[in-house]
Amino acid sequence: MKPQNKLFTGLLTLVFLLPAYNGFSQAHPKGDLGIAVNYFISNNKIPSLMVKVKTKVDGRFQNVAGISLKLFLDKDTVGKFIAKVVTNDAGEATAYIPSSLKSQWGNALKHTFVATFDGNSKYEAAKGDVTVAKAKILIDAGNDKTVTATVLEMKDTSWVPVKGVDVVLAIKRMDADLTINDKPTFTTDSTGKASGDFKRDTIPGDAKGNITLVAKVLDNDQYGNLSIEKAVPWGAKFTMLNTFDKRTLFATRNKAPIWIQLIAYSIMFTVWGILIYLVFNVFKIKKLGEDKIS
Amino acid sequence: MGVLTAICLVGLYAYYRQLRYGLIVTSMRDYVSWGIYISNFVFFVAISLVGSLITAVFRLAGVKWGSPLTRIAEIIAVAAIIFASLIIIVDMGSPERFYNLFIYGRIQSPIIWDVIVITTYFFISILLLYYPLLPDIQILLRFKESTGKRLYRFYSFIGSFWKGTAEQFELSEKAINILCIAIIPVAFTIHTVTSWLFATTYRPGWDSTNFGAYFIAGAFLVGAGAVVVAMYIFRRAYHLEKYITENHFEKMGRILVLLSLLYLYFNMNEFLTPFFKMKESEAAYLNGLFSGNFAPLFWFAILTGMIVPTLILLFKKGRKPLPVFIAGVMVVVGAWFKRYLIVTPTLLHPFLPMHDVPASYRHYFPSWEEWAITLGSLAGAMLIITVLARIFPIIPIQETITEQHETAE
Repeated sequence: MKPQNKLFTGLLTLVFLLPAYNGFSQAHPKGDLGIAVNYFISNNKIPSLMVKVKTKVDGRFQNVAGISLKLFLDKDTVGKFIAKVVTNDAGEATAYIPSSLKSQWGNALKHTFVATFDGNSKYEAAKGDVTVAKAKILIDAGNDKTVTATVLEMKDTSWVPVKGVDVVLAIKRMDADLTINDKPTFTTDSTGKASGDFKRDTIPGDAKGNITLVAKVLDNDQYGNLSIEKAVPWGAKFTMLNTFDKRTLFATRNKAPIWIQLIAYSIMFTVWGILIYLVFNVFKIKKLGEDKIS
Repeated sequence: MGVLTAICLVGLYAYYRQLRYGLIVTSMRDYVSWGIYISNFVFFVAISLVGSLITAVFRLAGVKWGSPLTRIAEIIAVAAIIFASLIIIVDMGSPERFYNLFIYGRIQSPIIWDVIVITTYFFISILLLYYPLLPDIQILLRFKESTGKRLYRFYSFIGSFWKGTAEQFELSEKAINILCIAIIPVAFTIHTVTSWLFATTYRPGWDSTNFGAYFIAGAFLVGAGAVVVAMYIFRRAYHLEKYITENHFEKMGRILVLLSLLYLYFNMNEFLTPFFKMKESEAAYLNGLFSGNFAPLFWFAILTGMIVPTLILLFKKGRKPLPVFIAGVMVVVGAWFKRYLIVTPTLLHPFLPMHDVPASYRHYFPSWEEWAITLGSLAGAMLIITVLARIFPIIPIQETITEQHETAE
């Protein structure tokens, strides 16, 4: 066989072998997902769920985006379907309990919320659930600036106080909430009440000094996340000083401060007045010269 | 003139490229948004102040020996202020933005103050060049044959009405005196406002109350440096030894020493106190200047622009024409790099750096277009000086004659 033919045969063999490479390689093992289901009820209205999906990469948990989950009430069957959600960049997805499940919701004092993932090319199928008892939280603001939260659980057909639940009493702010005093949490007593003194008098409220108090039960094993809000006029009155369209150094040209306009324009008119006079002076000199000729 | 025109044409081509492709052809990015153009602008503004120093300050102070130098100073001032204005338009990218400055410009902004003051200074400089020229034009018109037709017509147009009458002299003298008084505050304002463009911006190295005086001291130094360079060149080229004497170099040398030391003093104020405090937010900028990337340039500018010229000019032998010329060149070159150092290192070290800033933003070296435009503008200014020196007498004839008569008496 001629050398060039040998080379050609070799190259051809290599070309045919290359596509078979995948056949020898082992399939990459699929990852495992951890699904955490959190229950929320705000102002004792419609309950909602927040699902968080994570996976472990190099020994560290990472949020997983784009995971499609099915949420169910009590059992993962068709009649108990809550919603289908997809996780965002933070690995989170939320859904409200639909009104179609109202009767199932009212039938029991405890409910289990189930989240299922059917699996995909990267991750194995996974499941997560959380069981919560029906509970509610109330808030009261006394004239002596004490804030009282009451945690109640549905037992049989009535609401009964719950003892020993940690409650956060706080003021609602733009980002994180601010506790009403230096204590981070308050625990309910046998009457289901937890009270704290409001010690943030200088906190700015709206124009009337209104601020929003919030009482929260966070990540409770039995009741999930409960919160309730109440507006009180305990803040400092805050009047927004809006300089928009006012005469300021940083306003538009038409809104320049009068003093700067007076100074700047008077200097300009003086100097340019002199310059214009000096230009006329040239014409005066010219006229003198022409008079001399004539 | 051919060489200067060629450099200008290359600069024009680079500007055409900048107009066509935008400011992306420059190396200026979000960090260094004022690069070599603004350094050059500050340099031109600084040099233009010489008109007020030589003409106005000397005149009002009764310094008679400075008369032969006034025309040189005024020509330099006019050329520099023209290119200071042009380089700002270049820096804006699209030239129509300059129009927007007048339409939307805010009187509260130092940029608008700068535009107003530069325009004012330009007109004062033109008038200050023109008024003392009138008697000289009358003399030039006597030499119709040697002047050439076009130039003769030009002289006739601008000054044939000057008959040298007592009334005309009186009006002219009065106007020159008014201009000399007016130009000093305007000159101070022009460079103070230029310094405020920086000082009103919260950046390391610019956050200084000393900036106005610091800039003016530097401007007088570079202006005087430019005058001695021009004096030497014109003296050699036109054989003006009789008018620009060694005594002029001796005296200008002394002035240069004074101004160098003054500027050195302001530099110490400007750098020693921040160096002593070494605030964390300014440390990178200061270390960059003193011992980092910009150190060779920084020490070159300090040594070449101030210390070495002072050492040369302190000695009597150093105040001969050639050493003074060399010192002048050093002052001017050092001053240009000093302006570059005022602008660039500061912009590379913002108080609040960008998150994940691209690597190209962290460094700045001008593109060839920027160099070409800058060198073109410097050549353009020199071209204007050359053209004006060819059209008009570089020594004020009438003034020098009058001064000689007064000295003889």
